[in-house]
Amino acid sequence: MSRIGVFICYCGSNIAGTVDVEKVAEVARTLPNVVHAETNKYTCSDPGQAGVKAAIEKYNIDRVVMGTCSPRMHELTWRKLLADTPVNPYMLEVANLREQCSWVHKDKEVGTAKAIDLIKMAVAKVDKLSPLKSTQIPVTKRALVVGGGIAGMQAALDIADAGYQVTVVERETSLGGKMVMLDKTFPTMDCSACICTPKMSEVGSHPNITVKSYAEVESVEGYVGNFDVTIREKAKYIDYNLCTGCGACTTKCPTKVINNFEQGMSARPAIYKMFAQAVPAKPVIDAEHCRKIQENKCGACAKICPTGAIHYDDEDKVTTERYGAIVLTTGYQLIDWKPLYPEYGGGKYPDVITGLQFERLVNASGPTEGHILRPSDGKEPKNVVIIKCVGSRDPHKGVAYCSRACCMYGAKHAHQFLDKVPDGRCFVFYMDVRTPGKGYDEFYMNTLQDGAQYLRGRVSKIYKEGDRLVCLGEDTLTSAQIRIEADMVVLETAMVPAEGVDKLGSMLGVTRDKDLWLTEAHAKLRPVETNTAGVFLAGVAQGPKDIPDTVCQAGAAASKVIGLLNHDHLESNPQISRVNEALCQGDGACVNICPYHAITLVQKQFRENSQKITRTVASVNPGLCQGCGACTVTCRAGAMDLLGYTNESLMREVDALCQW
Amino acid sequence: MSDIQEAMRSRAKELLESGEVNAVIGWEAGRFENQTTPLITSQAAKTQRLVFNEYCVNNLGKYPRDLTAKGKVAIFARGCESRAIIRLLSDEVIKRENVYIIGIGCPGMRDRTTGELLKKCAECRHGDPVIYDEMLGEPQAKPATQERFAEIQKIEALPRAEREAYFTNAFSKCIRCYACRNVCPCCTCRQCFVDQRREGWLGKQNNIAENRFYGLTRVMHVGDRCIECGECERVCPMDLPLMSLNRKVIYDINNLFGEYETALSLDEPPSALTTYKVDDVEEFM
Repeated sequence: MSRIGVFICYCGSNIAGTVDVEKVAEVARTLPNVVHAETNKYTCSDPGQAGVKAAIEKYNIDRVVMGTCSPRMHELTWRKLLADTPVNPYMLEVANLREQCSWVHKDKEVGTAKAIDLIKMAVAKVDKLSPLKSTQIPVTKRALVVGGGIAGMQAALDIADAGYQVTVVERETSLGGKMVMLDKTFPTMDCSACICTPKMSEVGSHPNITVKSYAEVESVEGYVGNFDVTIREKAKYIDYNLCTGCGACTTKCPTKVINNFEQGMSARPAIYKMFAQAVPAKPVIDAEHCRKIQENKCGACAKICPTGAIHYDDEDKVTTERYGAIVLTTGYQLIDWKPLYPEYGGGKYPDVITGLQFERLVNASGPTEGHILRPSDGKEPKNVVIIKCVGSRDPHKGVAYCSRACCMYGAKHAHQFLDKVPDGRCFVFYMDVRTPGKGYDEFYMNTLQDGAQYLRGRVSKIYKEGDRLVCLGEDTLTSAQIRIEADMVVLETAMVPAEGVDKLGSMLGVTRDKDLWLTEAHAKLRPVETNTAGVFLAGVAQGPKDIPDTVCQAGAAASKVIGLLNHDHLESNPQISRVNEALCQGDGACVNICPYHAITLVQKQFRENSQKITRTVASVNPGLCQGCGACTVTCRAGAMDLLGYTNESLMREVDALCQW
Repeated sequence: MSDIQEAMRSRAKELLESGEVNAVIGWEAGRFENQTTPLITSQAAKTQRLVFNEYCVNNLGKYPRDLTAKGKVAIFARGCESRAIIRLLSDEVIKRENVYIIGIGCPGMRDRTTGELLKKCAECRHGDPVIYDEMLGEPQAKPATQERFAEIQKIEALPRAEREAYFTNAFSKCIRCYACRNVCPCCTCRQCFVDQRREGWLGKQNNIAENRFYGLTRVMHVGDRCIECGECERVCPMDLPLMSLNRKVIYDINNLFGEYETALSLDEPPSALTTYKVDDVEEFM
């Protein structure tokens, strides 16, 4: 016979306002196996908790129902309380009398009746629970950072500075991400390269950091503290131990390939370094375009290389290593506006460029060495139109969300253009100007003083007239039709998640929202954690944001990782699935449905009907299982049971609700 | 068909005599005219009792489940048997090396009393075996004479109240004998949910609510794994329209996840309902 204690909280007047708490306690005393029921004004307070402890001792209670607020609020509090008593912390059921009862009802009679039902259910359930114990999981004291942009670099540096080994995986051939493409950064206008490249070299030379460039995560197995990550480093065709980075090879390569780093505005050879300050500061061969690798002709780079570092037979290198924590900083790409906006020419006009192309044009190390020259004829544009929210806040064509940084870098572009072309005119079409941030609005005001003309409205059409681009639009503040003859148009396009992040997310069990941004565990309280323990996120991978926010978030994620790696062992959650092997027929329905890849099929020996037989049964990895319960509802035979929420206890809960 | 019958007898004899298989599963004549009953034998002499005629109505496909523990069994398989075997194989109930499949093309089976083609055979889309180790005789390539979802579309077109009445009426007759479960090649749980008294998923009373709960749970458990052999409906002593329920689930799967038919080959993708794809329909979200 179990001995159940029921503790019902007034929560000041939060619960007592619409629930007759004393009556609920009175009914609770009549329920089967309840040996004691009491009320308290504030159960979570120190005296309240002491009262619960005293009652447990006095009435020899072995399981507890707390009629209080939501378990999300105080379940952990009660568990901690029970840890100090002889009662097992998992012999606990919280009846949510506040969020799911008193707060949603106005009529005290209705609220009381419902509270009684909730208590009855909780009593019936707790009666069938059994004690659970957590186990210890070892922690591998190394971290993996996926993405070598500013978020990844910051997180890696913070973790490495705390004394832990970090591996940074970067898909491109160099660290730096999008930030290193930028010219200047708002609102202080410090040069992006000047603050980003020192970080790159710091990451490259940090004794605790290993950089795997031109590499991608291929698969992840394991769980918090013990992720086995397989990384594929693409063939670079260059032995980095021999290469001195002299760059002679890149001067001799006869092939010309569109340079993606320069946003397609210049060409690079097939053996190339992404940009001058790249880290690692050594080139790679783009196998797809290399004549030696494709056609076995040329070979000029190998001839000129003074150290013989070039090997055309190089192969991808696949390694599997174990990490304790993973930080996802996969960043973003710009939305492909061309198919979405045929009215802006859909890519037909070379002088309609994106914000990132403008960054390269205005950048001293860009294709025009910092002179703003339009791509079509290399002339300096005098009239520039900037269109904001291209793709952003446009659910019909692009995405519904605001890309957050565009208002500021739009203002920055206007400022930079007016600075470099003093006799130029700049028109900015906007929907709203959003400048919440330290020094941001002042920056916008300055841009207005520079002479940028802000027009509230969208451009409806761009067409070519002579060598100029005519922009038609409306100034919605004056209801005037606007026609501007521009020399160049800059589209501040929406940020969308980097390619492949969906696959990475599903590999790690990290959810994506409808726009495929990685989802944090809690929008406010757990902003850098994910639903998978041990996996954290930072930067734009989580949603559009600017550099300061990204760096903040990277630091936050790093501190979470450090907190995790500081432990030698982790306590596992004992509320996980258990296989009833007598019922399990091993058909693997649970294996398919498990979002955490926690279930495998194993061959096991049994004694059945006085015979030794080998059968296939499911086996749950306690480190991977998150207790979601998907397997329990998939198993037709009911062989899967979620500890703490067993089939039996839930059925008794339903019975309790339906009986009277 | 008599050629096939002779071939069956001689092959079964050979296989048993050579010790290649431990048992043979086929049909033998029943006690009554035009009636057959499953024959399971390990004795070569008994293979002369094997018959194959238009009245071999039983789907033998579930029998290997109880027999393969003692070694390899040979089974004569038409479309329905072969798909049942695939079902057992993909549910890991039996192992491929423990079953020797002798394929037979099927022209469709007839009702013993009326002589008409059985309903399940009229609806059948795969009369010939989809998997076999050897084939006796020629495939028959019998076309289905009934549209797969004709009945479902007819029921779906009814007003809501009539639809409800249709199923309420059906389950008011159910005596919960569980014959549909016992005959089904998908129902291979070591203990059926209806027998799990401790959890008490299902009450013991025979009333419409419990009967309907049983029927609907069964149909969801069979769900995307149903091979549409129609045995449940054939064996139901109360003539419940069980295949309409099964096909309703398959019809919905077709509409939600694209054309779906299970157990047609061994390397088919995992079942539709237990796998998650990013582009799955989520209209309820």
